[in-house]
Amino acid sequence: MATYSPHQERHPNMLRREHREWLLFVLFIGPNLFLFSVFTYWPLLYNVYLSMVRWDFLRPTMPFVGLQNYIAAFSDPRFWNIIWQTATFTIWSVGLTLVLGLLLALLLNQRLLYRNTARAVVFAPVVMSGAVVAVVWSYIFDPRYGLIDQLLSFVGLRSPNWLVDPFWAMPAVIIVYVWKNIGYAVVIYLAGLQNIPRELYDAARVDGAGAWERFWHVTLPGLSPIAFFLSVTSILSCFQAFDLIRVLTNGGPADVTTTLVFHLYELGFVSYDAGKAGVVAVVLFLIMLALTIVQIRYVERQVTYG
Amino acid sequence: MKQTFTRRELLRLMMAGGGAAVLAACGGQSGQPATQATQAPAVVSQPGSKVKITYWGSFSGNLGEAEQAMVKSFNESQNEVEVEYQFQGSYEETAQKFTAALQANTTPDVILLSDVWWFGFYLAGAIAALDDLAKQVNLDFNDYEPVLLNEGVRKGVHYWIPFARSTPLFYYNKNIWAEAGLPDRAPETWAEFTEWAPKLVKSDGSRAAFGHPNGASYIAWLFQGVVWQFGGQYSLPDFTMTMTDPNTLRAAQFYQDTVVKNKWAILSPNLNQDFLGGAIASMMASTGALAGIQANATFPVGVGFLPKETNFGCPTGGAGLAVVSRAPAEKQLAAMKYIAFATSTTNAGVWARSTGYMPVRISTKQTTEMVEFFNKNPNFKTAVDQLPKTRAQDAARVFVRNGDQIIGKGLERIIVNGEAPSSVFAAVNDELTQGAKPILEDLKAREG
Repeated sequence: MATYSPHQERHPNMLRREHREWLLFVLFIGPNLFLFSVFTYWPLLYNVYLSMVRWDFLRPTMPFVGLQNYIAAFSDPRFWNIIWQTATFTIWSVGLTLVLGLLLALLLNQRLLYRNTARAVVFAPVVMSGAVVAVVWSYIFDPRYGLIDQLLSFVGLRSPNWLVDPFWAMPAVIIVYVWKNIGYAVVIYLAGLQNIPRELYDAARVDGAGAWERFWHVTLPGLSPIAFFLSVTSILSCFQAFDLIRVLTNGGPADVTTTLVFHLYELGFVSYDAGKAGVVAVVLFLIMLALTIVQIRYVERQVTYG
Repeated sequence: MKQTFTRRELLRLMMAGGGAAVLAACGGQSGQPATQATQAPAVVSQPGSKVKITYWGSFSGNLGEAEQAMVKSFNESQNEVEVEYQFQGSYEETAQKFTAALQANTTPDVILLSDVWWFGFYLAGAIAALDDLAKQVNLDFNDYEPVLLNEGVRKGVHYWIPFARSTPLFYYNKNIWAEAGLPDRAPETWAEFTEWAPKLVKSDGSRAAFGHPNGASYIAWLFQGVVWQFGGQYSLPDFTMTMTDPNTLRAAQFYQDTVVKNKWAILSPNLNQDFLGGAIASMMASTGALAGIQANATFPVGVGFLPKETNFGCPTGGAGLAVVSRAPAEKQLAAMKYIAFATSTTNAGVWARSTGYMPVRISTKQTTEMVEFFNKNPNFKTAVDQLPKTRAQDAARVFVRNGDQIIGKGLERIIVNGEAPSSVFAAVNDELTQGAKPILEDLKAREG
């Protein structure tokens, strides 16, 4: 333990107390640490090993191939396409969720009739099963009998073939993802809005600030820790979005809605290529780790904590 | 807690522990030959007691009901074996769960495996050789439709018994056909259909003449027939890939034209529903869908052989039954008894009549029930008449792991993205060739 200790000479009593505290520490973290080790850390490490073998889950042997799987993945243009698609999906989904969520939260923070009902309605999709949401939306998107087509037909337009057209498939998935998850952002924003001290608004008013200035100089800075928290959680959950994609498009058409997680599923559980799936899992893990570190190191500094 | 032990150090410790575990694991795992599992241990049974076996299947809806009815009638027909039927999801999901079950050692005894899955399990030694078992239950392989049975034979040994076997069929909506003034039959050739198609389309975009499925595996199955019709193929029997054969490319160009250039075909996520709803006038689909489509259609359904081009071409498909090699000898025998029952002359007929799958036994076609059924359902007769003209699919789709997905996704790029068939299929050819390498190694190890 090469750490700073305030007392050069320790009293025997203190040593004993320290010892006891250590024991207590181990007792407290022991059970969870054990579970984490078995179900999280061990699979994580074992996956790194799997990414360096060639194995189809069936063969009796797993020949070690070193970095071959990595080289194969990185030299495949499809892999980079999928990374690009994952980024597109994440940026649009998170951006729309944060911006639209804020607008909705501002609206629902007003004294409106049936405000609580409206809040409940906005939040409802969050607690629905992703598969159910996706099935319902696949009907809404149907170009012939879907709701969107009916609405568009009032203005004389025809619905695009959302889930089959390579241009519209990704927007369709993003729309459903944002619709499903925006309620969570709204609820968190609302909590943040209610935490901004009223006095700040009063003071701003006294100083002659208009509605826009109050929003810009009071509301937004007050919400920035919330927005930061939301951006971290949304990006991480976006990277893991699977159920909607699986049911809505199954990664298609022609792979345009295949994200890293979906690719991982395909490689692992459709092509049965444990090695290549392991590579994707490692890449995904590193990306998430890097994003989290960047967010904590750089974004957090610019956040005003209230 | 004093600051004597930092989080970072704790993490470091955990990493170190984990690393050691990884090294330990490198030694384990490997080296247990799967073939050991084929030496089935015997189970001593009480005389008079029933052998209970587990059967994993993949059908839901009316197919699932028919499958369960089959199990029920087997259980009631005798008192030596009791089959417990367990639905596992789609063909893909069933295979996934079987793979997991092999790892966890919680395998069923008899399992339904589709055309693209059984071979991988054969290579891994996970499914049993059936010839001895067949002898014990007096099963006569000679009465099975040879084109279907022979697919499940490797080196003269039977591993995969045809059960829910199908072929693609051309389906058309007779009302729309009449409206367009077309003769009441399926098109003879694709050239003929290309002339017909514009008459079947509604100009407001609410109806296409033809529908392609957008599932990669399914479209690669239907396209298999089309490739043969154009004189091409996916691969040669020795696993040489032929995706860039000019005729294979010609077929792909034709597929692209139906959607991109001529615009009379669409890609549909719900092919059967679109056909039933009148959004498409015709489609190629499995014979296994026939019973369901006829039951739900509000219009007379017409079917015909697949259209020709240079040749006639039609692949077989669907699923068959296999016995799990890890099951104890007694359970393997019980499993074989169930297979013999489910594919008997009578029951192959019962199954075919309730589902639309092919009767897998030759003698079934002559039974009075079947003859009557053919008279009442000429559509089903058409499907069965096409059977002798079909053949087993190319290795690229069924034997290369994931080959169906690789081909299907390439085809999607051609149809949906409008990419040039030559460049897409060149990439597909490479991917299939890569995918075939480990299979060839395994094959050499397994068959010499």
